[in-house]
Amino acid sequence: MALDAGNHEDEAVLLARYARGDAAAARVLTMRLVPRVHAQAFRLLGDASEAEDVAQEAMMRLWRIAPEWRTGEAKVTTWLYRVVANLCTDRLRKRPRGDVALDAVAEPPDPAPSVEVKMQGDARMLALRTALADLPERQRMAVVMRHFDGASNPQIADRLGISTEAVESLTARGKRALTQALKGQVAALGYEDD
Amino acid sequence: MTQDLNNVPDPWLDDLLDKVAQAPVPEVPADLMARVMADAQHMLPPPGGVITAPPLWRQVIGALGGWGSVGGLVAAGVTGLAIGLGAVDATGMDALWSLGVFDGYDGQTGLSAFGWDYEEG
Repeated sequence: MALDAGNHEDEAVLLARYARGDAAAARVLTMRLVPRVHAQAFRLLGDASEAEDVAQEAMMRLWRIAPEWRTGEAKVTTWLYRVVANLCTDRLRKRPRGDVALDAVAEPPDPAPSVEVKMQGDARMLALRTALADLPERQRMAVVMRHFDGASNPQIADRLGISTEAVESLTARGKRALTQALKGQVAALGYEDD
Repeated sequence: MTQDLNNVPDPWLDDLLDKVAQAPVPEVPADLMARVMADAQHMLPPPGGVITAPPLWRQVIGALGGWGSVGGLVAAGVTGLAIGLGAVDATGMDALWSLGVFDGYDGQTGLSAFGWDYEEG
């Protein structure tokens, strides 16, 4: 993080510098953006290896688009957020589908009293991630930004370029859709025994 | 305790969302940072940048004078079409007959134009 310390330049400015052949700008962008991108991908996918692949691919697309980037049309972070979300969605949709059962979750190598609890937690997360992948893009982004990133409605509105009221509506519709999607799996997710 | 499957409350979903949000995220591996930097270096544009041609549609709009001009052209085109269609509708084919446009029209001439009169003798 030391390379980014004290650098408060906007990402769009840094990207423009990179587009003019400035390697130092790439270093700052990498230090600043990769941790965010990696964390977003990991939360959506729950798999460290896939999260790394998505982070690298998303950054690759950023480098590729740099010469054509039009400052002022979109925020770099918003653009990148959307790229990561779409890459993760593609991967989630390619995963084997079906109702989530405990059998579908890999058994931890070291059996312990909490193994069943852990497997159940993993099954819940897998079900939620799969259901998230089926949401329309804007609903998914609103729900993820709100709940995973802890962003406020005005912050989400700013990132998505929509009104705060629209964010509230998107989030509410997204959560209703998630509830509907997961309703049939409640028993498999262990909520009957809670 | 069994929950009502037909009416899963929001707190249930919020709990699930919180669990994913609170799951620990692994540290960014150093080799990932190295790979990303290597990609950036590999794709680094030359000093001064690359001159990229704008897309064709942007060039066309620019040549026409920008979005304002395109809007004017579209409005003028639609208006002209509406006026033209209105004029034909108002006068109809009668106007063309009255101008003598079809004076030379003859049903027989029309048939001979296909050469049928020669074929049939």
